[in-house]
Amino acid sequence: MGPETFETVVAAHHPEIHRYLRRMTARPSEADDLSQETFLRAYRAFRALPDDANVRAWLFAIATNLFRNHVRSEKRRSTLHAAVLATRSESAGHGPEGETVYRETRTLIEGVVAALPFKQRTAFVLRKIHDLDYETIARTLDCSADSARANVFQALRKIRHGLNGHAIEGMRASEKELTP
Amino acid sequence: MSPKHPGCATIEADLVATATGEAASEAAQRVHAHVERCGSCREDLGRYRAIEGMVGRMRATVSDDRDARERLIARLGDLGRRRLTYGVFPSPLGPLLIGRTADGVSLVQYLGPEGDLRHSLLGRRPDVDAIEDSLAVEGFYRELLEYLDGRRDHLEWPLDLRLARSDFHRGVLRATAAIPYGAVCSYAGIACEIGKPTASRAVAQALRWNPLPIVVPCHRVVGSSGALVGYAGEKVDLKRRLLALEGAMPPEGTRIPRGAMYVTMPREHCYCLPTCTWIPTADHPHRFLFFGSRQRAEAAGLTPCEDCRPDLHPLAS
Repeated sequence: MGPETFETVVAAHHPEIHRYLRRMTARPSEADDLSQETFLRAYRAFRALPDDANVRAWLFAIATNLFRNHVRSEKRRSTLHAAVLATRSESAGHGPEGETVYRETRTLIEGVVAALPFKQRTAFVLRKIHDLDYETIARTLDCSADSARANVFQALRKIRHGLNGHAIEGMRASEKELTP
Repeated sequence: MSPKHPGCATIEADLVATATGEAASEAAQRVHAHVERCGSCREDLGRYRAIEGMVGRMRATVSDDRDARERLIARLGDLGRRRLTYGVFPSPLGPLLIGRTADGVSLVQYLGPEGDLRHSLLGRRPDVDAIEDSLAVEGFYRELLEYLDGRRDHLEWPLDLRLARSDFHRGVLRATAAIPYGAVCSYAGIACEIGKPTASRAVAQALRWNPLPIVVPCHRVVGSSGALVGYAGEKVDLKRRLLALEGAMPPEGTRIPRGAMYVTMPREHCYCLPTCTWIPTADHPHRFLFFGSRQRAEAAGLTPCEDCRPDLHPLAS
């Protein structure tokens, strides 16, 4: 395996790992740095990786560990919850009525997701956004597949309750924001 | 939110799984039977399905990673140029480290009995990104073992001299690499070869820091008197072993028996007896190359001198 092979790994997986970290972090620069660090670590360990390894799952595991360490060091400075704003700005822009409703609901969901404890949030994003199976998520989070499943379940419950409790208020508030 | 009925609470996990399409068929059937009877859970199922749909749409979000990816690729390119993969292997001379870059073999190091990496060049060079990967250098190791076993008389490896300390050192190493198997020459001879005839001490220093011992055969460079002088710091004994292996000196000897060896000069085509007529009058006697046997001289592409005929009057071995 030469550097060419790793280049194909970058081409195949960087967009997704970057998207994952973009979703987990507050600032784009954090996602840039963490995804770079993820691939630099992967590059160093790549040769030792067995041929039949699941490279994608492996990269998610590295990214998740780096992110976890990053959160721990960031926590002292507590800039974490800005994540909602970051993802919302991505989808900003004017659209038809249905699009507005979608965006509001989405913002609500993202708000709940951003406030989830680390394990629930990671398990949810890996399962629902990146479609990893529970075995892989379990390995990434160093827990059992059942625990991974339970974390996703808890996340979904909180989202549901979040939409229940805040849907009306939240939507009104954002309607005000959006109407000139 | 009103507290859930106990039956509804127990089925909630299955209900979520059903909404997301992850439930086993049995569980899904249980859920469907339950929601037939329970309006609030029916509503829940609908909500969970709606959330699943929403989340599905969120997947499609793209983030532009192009700048980040380009920076990464530039970093990787830089790392690739600095990368040195190495392995540590047992050998008759003790643990040996063999390292290579993309350009060629760049490091062979005697590690001492414990195979201790602490004194290795690897940790001292910021321009090198060292990664252990024995497989990447195992082929070199096998050839090196064959050489140390006397079954191989050349190591035609691509070499990367980046770990040499200066361009002067690189020049010394290149000149040394040209000394054939089984031959010896003097430090002064190498100094002449690189066009600095007075620099034999600097040549000795350059060879002391040779990052590629054995491969760049600094053991074939000895004092003008035939004394072994030094090797890789304090390892003169290894030098003796390598020279004996190549047939340039007896295993128990303490110096190169120059008077009892075949003689030639760099870029000459023939080899002579030490008594050949031109030898006492040679302009640069320190440039002599000595061979321990005719076999080695001829393996190096030399033919017997037609004046002194070493083929007809071989030296007693």
